This record gives sequence, structure tokens and C-alpha cells, in this order.
Amino acid sequence: MSKQDAGPGRSLGLSRWTGAGATPPPKGARGRRPATSSTGRRADLRLRRSIRRYVSTLVILLVVLVVAVVGFTPLRERITQGLDIQGGVSVIMRATKPDGSAPTSGDMATAAGIVQNRVNALGASETSVQQQGSNSILIQIPGATNADQVISTLGQTGHLEFARLDQIGDADALLKLNAGATNVRLKEGTYTSFMDGSDISTVSVAQDPTKASGGYAVNLRLGGDGSAKFAAVTKELAPIKGRIAIVLDGVVYSAPAVQSEITTGQVSITGGFSLDEAQQLKTVLDSGSLPVTLTYSESRVVGPTLGQDSLGQGVVAIAIGAAVVVAYLFVFYQGLGLLTMGSLVVFAVLYLGLLALLSHVGAYALTLPGLAAVVLTTGSAADSSILVLERFREEIRMGRSIRQASISGARHGIMTSLDADAVSLVTALALFFVAVGSVKGFGLTLALGIVCDIVTMFCFKAPALRLLALRAIERHPGFWGVRQDLAAAAPGEGRKGGEAHA
Amino acid sequence: MRSHFSREIPFMRHRRTFLTLSCALVVIAVIGIVVRGLVFGIEFRGGTEIDFRDTGDVALGRMRDALVAAGEVDPTVQTTVTEGSQGFLVRSDTTDPNTANAHAEAAAAALGLTSENYTVTTIGPDWGADVTRSSAFAFGVALLLIVAYVSLRYEWKMSLVAVLALLHDLLITVGVYAWTQTAITPNVVAALLTIMGYSLYDTVVEFNRINENSRELRDGVHRTYYQIANFSINEVFVRTINTTLTSVVPVVAMLLLGGSTLRDFAFAMLVGELLGTYSSFAVASPLLAIWKTRETDWARREAKYGDAARRDVEEPAQEGTR
Repeated sequence: MSKQDAGPGRSLGLSRWTGAGATPPPKGARGRRPATSSTGRRADLRLRRSIRRYVSTLVILLVVLVVAVVGFTPLRERITQGLDIQGGVSVIMRATKPDGSAPTSGDMATAAGIVQNRVNALGASETSVQQQGSNSILIQIPGATNADQVISTLGQTGHLEFARLDQIGDADALLKLNAGATNVRLKEGTYTSFMDGSDISTVSVAQDPTKASGGYAVNLRLGGDGSAKFAAVTKELAPIKGRIAIVLDGVVYSAPAVQSEITTGQVSITGGFSLDEAQQLKTVLDSGSLPVTLTYSESRVVGPTLGQDSLGQGVVAIAIGAAVVVAYLFVFYQGLGLLTMGSLVVFAVLYLGLLALLSHVGAYALTLPGLAAVVLTTGSAADSSILVLERFREEIRMGRSIRQASISGARHGIMTSLDADAVSLVTALALFFVAVGSVKGFGLTLALGIVCDIVTMFCFKAPALRLLALRAIERHPGFWGVRQDLAAAAPGEGRKGGEAHA
Repeated sequence: MRSHFSREIPFMRHRRTFLTLSCALVVIAVIGIVVRGLVFGIEFRGGTEIDFRDTGDVALGRMRDALVAAGEVDPTVQTTVTEGSQGFLVRSDTTDPNTANAHAEAAAAALGLTSENYTVTTIGPDWGADVTRSSAFAFGVALLLIVAYVSLRYEWKMSLVAVLALLHDLLITVGVYAWTQTAITPNVVAALLTIMGYSLYDTVVEFNRINENSRELRDGVHRTYYQIANFSINEVFVRTINTTLTSVVPVVAMLLLGGSTLRDFAFAMLVGELLGTYSSFAVASPLLAIWKTRETDWARREAKYGDAARRDVEEPAQEGTR
């Protein structure tokens, strides 16, 4: 952009030859073009060298593009789809400590681990549990059909306690429990627990050995004082087959009767559970060791076909948008429109390849806001082509040769695009690093698109335009749409050109 | 579309008209924000949004009755049309996802719809504060970085004017949201932040040229800062039109074809993009020119050539630059 980067033999910087009737300068007047035959040979050598450079850039790009195409087909499988497209349950939970202090990163890691276990217990595949920000956990369960079950299982997050049924003072609740009800809420302060979840060291589900029909049992291993406390209570309750209530956040989840005194810390809860029931009980018991309380921040349940509809609409919007843009650019730039179309294709292939690559390593999922970002970057990709072509034609009108214009025009156009891209990139990265939730995915997609645009400018637009400028454009100025620019540069006809657009 | 203009379009001569129009728009926007207020989506205040689709011939009243029967308290029900099929957008203050899902399921069952037909989004009451804070922070960081970048790359006056033009675009866009009472969702925030990028992009492209011309243009015709700014706008104007068209087309496609999520976004983008283009030549460049003309050097040139320049512009038979 500035004149410092003007090397010998190149014509850089903007100059204008002015005043009505002023003679236009000879071609390349500022570029110290070779006049003698010995320097002519050197220029020839340089030209051949730059041709080699352009061609090799394009060949390398072609290889990358082929790899990208192989990498992203079939598209639907290679680019991970976000929950809002795939359908499923997406939940963001916020962790708080009971004493109001900020959860430590250790707390968060433990909590995320427990949530992961709980999610696994639901039996869904490809679930993801991620820590977001300093105190949030994002849980995504694609294609989950039973949203209610997922949400209620995840929601069981609080304090796990064990209480003797005969020490519960809530008469209504007792009545219900004795009638065989589950999930009975106890009034606060009406019961005392003898042990809480922190005494449980492991929970597992196994076949119930006592049942021939093959029910499931949930086995607990107690640690610390747990076995002693449990032994004392079971010693008293075993003879009368008294019951111990498993209370999660004040709700009695179940209240099995004690069959025998348990002194080893190895507890087995049986009751003809199905595998599902056993898994759910295990999940409840697992929550006991959660160091934080989790509350819902955001929950999205997306019907599996709705997201696909949105994706379809988005893709149609992109296709129509791109088609209209390409058609318009053909009308406007004629043959040079090919270059724009080529750039858009290169850009699209690079972009999809990059998204597939990131999806493969699990760093990317396409969401609806992400789709919007794709639409937007397609616009900027077209814009950077326009900037380059405008500048190219402008320099031709200013009297440069087509070849010189392709060199300095592309450079100036790219520099302007880079400035503008830098500004967009700042916004995109700020969104990615600072924002939470769906806006984050938007920022990432936008930033990746800008990077692809920059690569396309350097590796395709500039070399392709310069190669074309060596021969093709000079020979068929009409086809490439630069005839009027050449005419504008010609002496005597500069009256109308050289201004606006121009 | 013409690729050549036979003479310069006198943007700068109309600078007062442009600036007055912009001031008026900003005032209208501010009145809208103050008087009508902004409607925030559930993401900012907590609550539940249920998006029913393909509901066939279910009437609005029946949908509301079903929801109330399912236990929703005072839901807001709007009809939506996605790709020609009927749907409803329901908003309520329920912040517990269990309850919200149960209600949606009950209502859907009562109307003979399946779980394929709806999307339930529930946002906890504290989340909005987080989203707002992080968005505001992202906005602030981006703004500072951009001011720093433009100041280093060009000059500080340009960065301040660019930011002023940006605020103009954002205020008016938000004003449109206030007047139309459209809900502001995180998608809209994302759109506003993108507008910020676009608006600056356009302004930077123009300033880039003004900057170059003010240092290097010695054509004997464009001597005052106003003339140089005007000439620069003209030079990049075809690019501006082409770029605006190419970026507006996909957005319009999104507005017409996208579902409610994409439409939110596209609406803000459309308003913002048009404003961003307008403000770069009608707000940013005139303000910069007015400001720069106060500098000694440019003021002297204005005094010397300004009258002649104005005369030239009024005489339509002005010669080309060459």
C-alpha cells in the first residue's frame, strides 16, 4: 500500500496524470522499464521466473483442493452438525457452590466428569459434555428422543442423603411411601439423615444374583465412615426389615427395606429393577459426590426433523445467493467474472475442507448461527474479488499496461481487502473468545471464513489474474471486459473515463 | 448498471443534507428506544420459547387453550409461516425446563402433534445476565482493537470518525427493533456485531483511498480535502455498490427462505448492511472532511481553492480529471 514496498522494476503507488489535454505517460514510465536489450533479457528471465512462481502456486493449491474435496465428501457426514440442526437436547448448566464462592477449576472438572457419567447412563451415542466459561457446562445429546427423561435425569443434581424411614416426620409423605409411591417430596426439616452421598465411593449396576428371572441390582461401595454408619443402622433395622430412604434434594427416590446387617461397606440394592431403572438409580446415587450444585441456564429441545429443515433452507439461501452474485458479476465483469467464480469455488472448497478437518478433530460443529456466518463470509469473499478487479481495471484506465495493472492492481486490491478483513477478523475473534453459547459458533465460523478468503486471495486470485494478464486478456480485451478501460486510457478519449468508478 | 460515470457525483456538496438526515434518523431511533423500549428475547430475561411447526389447520385460539390447559401461565402465542407451512411461536415465563417440556408435550398431544413438531428452549433466569455481560464485553474489546488498528494504520481522526459512523448504524438498527417491537435475541446481537464489522469494512475501504489520495493526488483539480474526499468516494463507488449488492443478496435470500432463527439474524443484517454502506459515504467521509479541513494546511487550501471548487461543481460542464 505504501510506497516503500516499491521495488525496482515494479510500478507501484498511485499516480495520476492530469489536466485536460495532458499527454498520457508512456507505459510503465514510473516503473523503470528496460529499454536496452541486455536489461530486456534480464526482464525476460524475471518474467519467466514469476510465471513459474504463479504456476507452482496454482498447482500446490490444486493439490490442496483435491485433498479438501476428498476430505469433505460426503459433506453430511464429514461436517459435524450442531444440535440445533441435528435435533436433540442441548443443555447449559451453571455450577454454584453451596457457600456462594466461585467453583474452582477442579470442582468444574469433577462436575463435568459426573455429568458425563450421567449422560452416558442415558445410553445416547455421541454425547458431548464441555466446560464453557468459568462456571458453565454445555451438555449436548444428539437425536435424544425422550427429552423429558434426559432433562429430569440431568436435573437430579443436588444433595444425596440416606435417612431411616422411621425417622421421617412428614406424615403425608410417609403415607404415600408406605403405599408404594416413589419420588415423594419431604417437607424441609422433617427428617434427619445418617449419611450423605459423599460416603459413596463407587456405584455399579450388575445382574441380580438372587433373582433367577434376571433382574438388575445396583451395587454401592461405601468409603470412609460410610461403612461404619451403614453397619450401625442396618444392625438396628435388619431384624424388623426397616426401610432406608434414598433422598435426593429432599425427594425420596426409593426406600428399599434392609434385608440384613451390612458391615463390609458393600451394599446391594435389589428389587427386580430393569436395566433402565437400575441405571437411573445409579445416576441418582452418583450425584451424591457432586461438589457443586448445577442449575439450568439454557435448555433446547429440538425436534429431529426441524433442524434439518432449517439446514435445507439455509443451504438453499446460500445457493440462490451465490448464483445471483455470480450471475451479476458475469454481467458486470464479463470474462473476468470467471475469475470471481473460480475464486468463489476455491474459497468454498477450502472452507468446507477446513470445517471438515476441524469437525474430524472434534473442534467444530455447524450450528444455525454458523450457517449465517457462512452466508456472510461468502459475501466478503465475493467482495474481495470485486476489490481486486476494480483496482485492476482502474489501473488500466490510468494508463498502465494490462500486465503491470495485474501486478500492482492485485496487490493494492488485496491490501485493501486485508485491511477490511482484519477488522472483521477482530470482531469474529472477539465473539469467539468472549461470547458464550450460540454466538461463539458464529464467531468461529466467521473467523475461519475470513482466513479462507485471505488464502484464496494470495494463492488463487493474484496468480490467476497475473497469468491471464500475460496473454489472454491482452488478446481478447472484449471477452475479458476491459476494452472500455483500455479505451479510457487511450489518449484523446480520457475525457469521459478516469473518474468515478473511475 | 453503468461502469463509468461521466462526471463526479457531488456527494460532498450534499453533506449537510446527509448529515441532517442521519441526525434525524438517530433522533427517531433514540426516541423509539426510550419511548417504545426494547423487547428482549427469553435469552436475556429467562423464560421458555416453544416453536411449533407444521401444525396444519390448528387455530391460534386452540393452541392457546391447549397450552393453558397444559398449565402454561399466560403464554404469548404468535403465528409463524415457515416454507408455506403453518406454525406457532410461544413465549412464556416458565424457567424450569422440566415443566416447560411437560407443558409442550401435553399441549402437542392435545392437538394431535408429535415431538417432531416442536422445539422447546428454556433459559434460566441468571443466564441472561451472563449473555449480556459477555456480549457487551466482546463488543467493547472489538471496538478498542479496531480503534487501535485504524489509528496505527491510518490516523486517530479516522478511527474516531469510523467509530462514530458505526454507532450511527448500530443506533438506527436498534431503533428499528424498538419501533417494530421485534425481540432482541443472541442472534440479533451476533448480527449487530457483524454489522459493526461491515460498517467499518466499508468505511476503512473508503478511508484507505482518501488517505492515499490526500498524500499522493496532485492532479491540479482536486485540491481541497472536500474535493479529494469526494473524488475518493467516486473512485470506490462502483465497488461499494457491487459489494453491497453481493452481500445483500444472500441476506435477502436468508430473510425469505430461512426459518425463524435465520430470519431474526437476516433482518438485522439487511438494515445494518444498507446503513453501513450509506454511512461510509454520507456520514464518515463528510465528517472526516469537515474535521480535516480545520487543520491549518487543509484550511489554507480550502481558503485558496474552495470557492473555485464550488463554482466548478455548480457548472455542469466540468472536465474530467485527465
